[in-house]
Amino acid sequence: MRPRSLLLLGAGFTVWAVAFVALYAMLSVGCRFGWHEVALDMAGGLSLQRLQLIAIFLVHLAAGAAVVVVLRLWKDRGFLYPLAYFAAIAALGASVFSFAGVFFLSTCQ
Amino acid sequence: MNRNLPPQGEETPTPPPADPIRLHRELAALWDTPAGRQQLGAVNHSILGKRFILAAFFFFGVGGLLAMLIRVQLATSGTAFVGPEIYGQLFTMHGTVMMFLFAIPMFEGFAIYLLPKLLGARDLAFPRLTAYGFWCYIFGATILLFAMIAGVAPDSGWFMYTPLSSATYSPGINADVWLLGITFVEISALSAAVEITVSVLKVRAPGMSLARMPILAWYLLITALMMLFGFPPLILGSILLELERAADLPFFDPTRGGDSLLWQHLFWLFGHPEVYIIFLPAAGAISMMIPTFARHELVGYRAVIVAVIAMAFLSFGLWVHHMFTVGIPHLALAFFSAASGLVAIPTAVQIFAWIATLAAGRPRFDVPMLYLGGFFFIFVVGGLTGVMLAMVPFNWQAHDTHFVVAHLHYVLVGGFVFPMMAAAYYWLPHFTGRLAEHRLSKTAFWAIFIGFNLTFFHMHLTGLRGMPRRVDTYPVEARLDWLNLLSSVGSFVMTIGFALFVVDLVVHMRFGRRFRRNPWAARTLEWAMPTPPTSYAFASLPHIEERGDRLSPAREGARLAGGRGYLGFTRNGWMETLGVDMVGGRPDQLIVLPRQTFLPLWSGLLTAAMVLCLLAKVYWLALAAFLAVVVSLLAWTGATGARQDVGALPIGNGASARPHWETEGPPSWWAMVLTCAAEATLFSSLLFGGLFLWLVAPQWPPARPAMPDPLLAAACAVLLVLAALSGRGGLASLLRERSPALGLVLCALAHGGAALLFALMAARVPTPTAHAHNATALVLLALCGLRAGFGAVLAGYGLWRLRAGFLSAARSLDLRIGRVWHDYAAATGLIGLGAAFAFAWLATSGGAGS
Repeated sequence: MRPRSLLLLGAGFTVWAVAFVALYAMLSVGCRFGWHEVALDMAGGLSLQRLQLIAIFLVHLAAGAAVVVVLRLWKDRGFLYPLAYFAAIAALGASVFSFAGVFFLSTCQ
Repeated sequence: MNRNLPPQGEETPTPPPADPIRLHRELAALWDTPAGRQQLGAVNHSILGKRFILAAFFFFGVGGLLAMLIRVQLATSGTAFVGPEIYGQLFTMHGTVMMFLFAIPMFEGFAIYLLPKLLGARDLAFPRLTAYGFWCYIFGATILLFAMIAGVAPDSGWFMYTPLSSATYSPGINADVWLLGITFVEISALSAAVEITVSVLKVRAPGMSLARMPILAWYLLITALMMLFGFPPLILGSILLELERAADLPFFDPTRGGDSLLWQHLFWLFGHPEVYIIFLPAAGAISMMIPTFARHELVGYRAVIVAVIAMAFLSFGLWVHHMFTVGIPHLALAFFSAASGLVAIPTAVQIFAWIATLAAGRPRFDVPMLYLGGFFFIFVVGGLTGVMLAMVPFNWQAHDTHFVVAHLHYVLVGGFVFPMMAAAYYWLPHFTGRLAEHRLSKTAFWAIFIGFNLTFFHMHLTGLRGMPRRVDTYPVEARLDWLNLLSSVGSFVMTIGFALFVVDLVVHMRFGRRFRRNPWAARTLEWAMPTPPTSYAFASLPHIEERGDRLSPAREGARLAGGRGYLGFTRNGWMETLGVDMVGGRPDQLIVLPRQTFLPLWSGLLTAAMVLCLLAKVYWLALAAFLAVVVSLLAWTGATGARQDVGALPIGNGASARPHWETEGPPSWWAMVLTCAAEATLFSSLLFGGLFLWLVAPQWPPARPAMPDPLLAAACAVLLVLAALSGRGGLASLLRERSPALGLVLCALAHGGAALLFALMAARVPTPTAHAHNATALVLLALCGLRAGFGAVLAGYGLWRLRAGFLSAARSLDLRIGRVWHDYAAATGLIGLGAAFAFAWLATSGGAGS
């Protein structure tokens, strides 16, 4: 196994960390520019702020799920792979728990 | 070193195995540090590990003494023991000493002493870096200590919140002492982080794949990586705050486009992971001790590794829970609250793994187990109040009260001090070769345990009744006297316990019974050696065929002492150990370690001189000292490498390996990669700061945005790319057995030119004291320039190594290390230029305060 395979251990949580940074940053940007006050009719009246946050969340959720699926295929390759797989599952769960608030919590108050 | 080298291609037979006594004498002659003045030149991990531990324990005493003074002051209402000014110094120094001068160095000492022995190596990857880290720690700590004695200790709290710590409200030298002294100590921490990471990944016994590493090595690896990414934000924050104080650059001044919350973000980006950086090594020690006393291997070895990885990441997503009351949107509060609650899960996985190990085994109770029992109780209480504080509504109520003081002491004392006392009893026989009588151990434990709970449990109550932190007194009407008096009495009981603990250790060292080997019947490698250990740790290195906690130290120890493992001989006067393939553990290089030297001491002294010059505000002398530090560090390299190709050398057991300077991925190459990663974190933190201020800070936009000259910037970008390409070209020439001189000269000139252009652009930033945007642009350009300047130094160093005969197609390591930096400096320089334009564009388009 190459040294690079070590990085797989953090793959799932890296997606979680990127989601965290992206959501926190874009939340601040949206509040700064008043996106929470821009209602989008084509999105059922959702604000631009909530829509972009949900989009970021779902993209990262999909990325986290993709990491889990790929690592599941590789998990019999050796010691590091099952560890990376279970860490990725934990990260996916952490993402859902940490960021699900984008669907219902007030964004800029 | 090269005087004794055989030329490449000449047959080099494996030296015949020496008899054990002769082998010991030969190894000791190489590895021992002579007595007397030469001890200052020690680079041996056992010596330096013990020095770190002793120094950290001394500072634990200092911090404890300060805590006693705090408790005297708070024992009753309206006490006039010390005034508010001194009280400010007392609690600031107590926190600072305990966090920076006790906990982190204690972990470092613990790791430095144990790690090579656990991994089956003779020393760490960079012994001189260990020594330099030690001297930085000692000199930085001494500056803080002397400041305290002189009555000018920091007094703005251990987290130095602005604007209290800014020049307006802290005009004296006190805050500078903290900012410069702690940054100095952090050099030591970052050195240790690089040292530990590379050592765990590369310097192990053959056969010890990652799957076979003892669990403590996993903990230390992950902790070191956390330090690598956790400390740079604070180092950046300290630099920015010192620049604000010394040069009036207003990063944290809200009247000039700065924001005091930026400091809080940078501080807690470090500060919260710091809690886990302290806890995880202790948890690793627990994961070693419990299996020994349970007489059963750790249950859930893999689950524990996953849990530690999860903790490491999650711990970087909690920092804002220290800032819940500053006014943050509900959704952001939810992100940080959820992550703060989540971290309890991987913690619980470890605790259940330890309980399961005890349940599955046949536990035998000894003194270390008593202290681990104390850990379980106290840490779980601290963890539960931590979950309470992670909940936003409760946090708002308890924020800045003594409830938080109680929580953090339950977590840190429970999570670090109790496990480390257990570890002291467990590994002290290893240090001393003596077994403890434990006459005072139990009494000491109960005094500490009862005293601790008496002291801190009541703080939950005083906190819930509204007693604020960091206030030197309280009115009698608050009716807090009895609870506080009990806390103070408890603190004295606890101190008596610690005094008994010290006496017990001294008695152990003086009168303990001698033993031969492995008194606890442990199954890890550190017990497969004589105790106290020899300077070279292993007479020969083992081949590991089992997981690191399933070994038979007695059998293995006898075999290794007889020289029947790898490297059971000496040659060329080299201090040798083996490097392995990171994942699989196959030996892939012979690491030749540097001999004892005073150079780290000199480098430490020069670094101290630089810090003192900065404190005294003699900046030209500080610059001269900085240059002297760089020269002294380059002087280290005189003793590394060879002037001729060596080729593969026998390492015993029929195997052979090339010396590390002739291999693809030696420790020093990885160290440079990790250094770049740490610097990238600092750089990212600066970019975050620039964006944060634009987005959040008042008084935006600036009157005169700092737009770099496009022509200068374009020329600079071209030079950066040229530097990277010519650095690569030089290396390619060397590998094709041509002279790399032209490439290196071009690389040095291009880097130098880029550095000058960055300096020119920085000098043209309009009035950096007028607005935080301009100040940020100045620092951004200066940092990129500094990087390019260092690139020029590295290219020049390559030329010097070429001229001195250290380079060939097989010996290209110096240029490959340089290439990493050249590429990194070019990439981040280009990003820096882009960021400078982006910040200027954003500034012209307005900001939060516009």
